[in-house]
Amino acid sequence: MAVRLETDVLVIGGGIAGAFAAYRAREAGARVLLVDRSYFGRSGCSALASGVYPAYMPGDDKDAWMRAFGGPLVNQPLVAKSLPVMHEHVLLMDRWGVNWVKEGRKIVRMGAPGRSFANGVWMAEGGPQMMMAVRSGVVGSGVEVLNRVALTELLTSDGRLPTAGRVVGAAGFHTRTGEIHEIAAKATVVCTGPYKFPYPWPGSTLGYMPIDLSGDGIAMMMRAGAELSRLELGGINLNPDNALSAPGLESLMPSGAKWVDQDGRRFLEDYDPKRMEMTQRALLYFAIAHQKELGRVPSMDLREVSPERMQLIRRVIPIVVNNQEAMVGDLTEKPVPYTYQVAGTSGIFGAGARVTERGETTVPGLYAAGTCTDMTYLPGGNLPFCSVTGDWTGRAVGAAVESVEPPQPPAQQVERVTAQILEPLQRRDGVAFEPVHRRLGEMLMEKVGLVLHADRLDAALAELRDIREHEVPLLVAHNPHELAKVWGLTQYLQVLEATLRAYRYRTESRVAFIREDYPVIDNVNWVKMVVVKQQNGALRLWDEPLPESWHDPHPVRPTQNLHLVFRNQEAPHAAR
Amino acid sequence: MPRVEVNEQACTGCGVCVDTCPTDVLRLDPQEKAFAAYPADCQGCFVCQWDCAYGAIRVVVNG
Ligand SMILES: Cc1cc2nc3c(=O)[nH]c(=O)nc-3n(C[C@H](O)[C@H](O)[C@H](O)COP(=O)(O)OP(=O)(O)OC[C@H]3O[C@@H](n4cnc5c(N)ncnc54)[C@H](O)[C@@H]3O)c2cc1C
Repeated sequence: MAVRLETDVLVIGGGIAGAFAAYRAREAGARVLLVDRSYFGRSGCSALASGVYPAYMPGDDKDAWMRAFGGPLVNQPLVAKSLPVMHEHVLLMDRWGVNWVKEGRKIVRMGAPGRSFANGVWMAEGGPQMMMAVRSGVVGSGVEVLNRVALTELLTSDGRLPTAGRVVGAAGFHTRTGEIHEIAAKATVVCTGPYKFPYPWPGSTLGYMPIDLSGDGIAMMMRAGAELSRLELGGINLNPDNALSAPGLESLMPSGAKWVDQDGRRFLEDYDPKRMEMTQRALLYFAIAHQKELGRVPSMDLREVSPERMQLIRRVIPIVVNNQEAMVGDLTEKPVPYTYQVAGTSGIFGAGARVTERGETTVPGLYAAGTCTDMTYLPGGNLPFCSVTGDWTGRAVGAAVESVEPPQPPAQQVERVTAQILEPLQRRDGVAFEPVHRRLGEMLMEKVGLVLHADRLDAALAELRDIREHEVPLLVAHNPHELAKVWGLTQYLQVLEATLRAYRYRTESRVAFIREDYPVIDNVNWVKMVVVKQQNGALRLWDEPLPESWHDPHPVRPTQNLHLVFRNQEAPHAAR
Repeated sequence: MPRVEVNEQACTGCGVCVDTCPTDVLRLDPQEKAFAAYPADCQGCFVCQWDCAYGAIRVVVNG
């Protein structure tokens, strides 16, 4: 028997964006149901976050914030508007019981890479404590929560995908019982987080916690007809070799961590001799990718971090430290090699549905916030930008549903979707998850990698299509737990195809997006967004210039065009 | 691969770890003791170890 539920606002995903969206919608008087495929408070990037909530506080130099966060593709007026909201959130979370690092009763802030000022509010017990406290605040406000239900498809007023009507809820299944859940809602808010190659194997350079985020929401929104953007810029992040751990850069770098190669040389000399380890994240990524391409072994060296600071770090990023020390012993004894995750959004930059600052996607009834969106071109997916976009979306949705009639998902669509969801459980002689998963992962490592090239991307897209057409439709699941993995992989493949197409479309390099065949940060031609939309069963891509008003007060000058220069003259792909 | 070790003497079968494991690895066996039903999906995040009020779970991560 299917479980049928009805609510005003359905929030899909309980990371920090979903939590704030749900809280604000509830505060506006709406009935809110938050559904998570895992356990709200323990799931997503937010609960595993590496201990730092970078936040503005009254009295800060706003211009310094804009210089640090207002790059060429960023909506600067919106960043300015978000700053006081971050501060409000720090105080609200303090009331909810988040354990911030304090001196006496005062919340203190620490320095951070790429910024000339202290802005990091540290969590004294890391991300896990923060999200459990946020959970209690949100649940206490009257938001209903449903755990272990993976929603896989949006329901629409005309029963079609893509829809010419509006989104009226979603359907999915319980990941333990397999029970179908059908949820009718006046408004649906997708907050499913970033996406990455799901369930990686350690050492695959695809690995990074949380391992179960497969881009479900982005794929669902794409099928419903929503426009996506920023997919090509949302990629890569670092993690220690052989561990699925998080990086913790925001707290480690200002604590005296160094980046060295296998000979102990601090290679950032070649890239940003002035700021070295306190360089911008994008440049750090580039430097490390380049070092890898040159066959070097970039490693993090904590030997100069003081014992007192190390003690604090152990509390602020317990997952990172526990994970790595279990692998390599005392972290302050020798440098730890770092590797990459590729072809996903890692949670550090946002990419997904194009949204307005009220969280509206291009489809009526469908809203989104956090890292599964383009975040209206805020600088990216970190905790504050996710909580802020969640907040704005929640307020807008809470007000909007007042005038919406209770929706009725079409019975035929529900029936069709239900059958589709359960199909992998009913197949007799299909293909198993593991070999398909492994084939896809190996393809990504071999053909996509860190430094991109059109030829390799074309080869990757061809193989992807083969997997999608010949293997995915035959995937078998033996129980609901496996069904969740099969659906994760299926959703990931769709988002991956859109991403690889967007990689191919942007013919320059920028942020952590590095093309061997276009090694130029091209501010003349590419201060633009690339938009992807599913239409008539195919993906359509186009680009749109960004409004000039977005670049105020820091305009983009064509003289900012930069070739990615390699001091030692070797080509970026020399190792291949 | 990371893995979860349960000390059966210490485990009271309260089920908190089963509720909160982010990647849904754990279940209670017929004797009401926690065990890793889906060991391959353990990401080594230590959440179960920290959530266990009885010190009955250890996450082992090694190369
Ligand atoms: C390991 C790690 C450490 C980080 N550390 C920091 C840090 O210290 N400071 C900082 O500012 N930023 C940090 N970041 C970035 C930051 O954590 C993320 O940008 C932010 O948490 C994303 O929030 P979100 O709400 O968009 O998504 P998430 O927190 O990822 O939440 C998404 C939720 O959606 C649920 N979900 C997914 N699919 C479905 C489905 N089909 N049905 C139902 N539910 C679903 C998931 O279970 C999850 O709960 C870190 C990121 C990572 C990955």
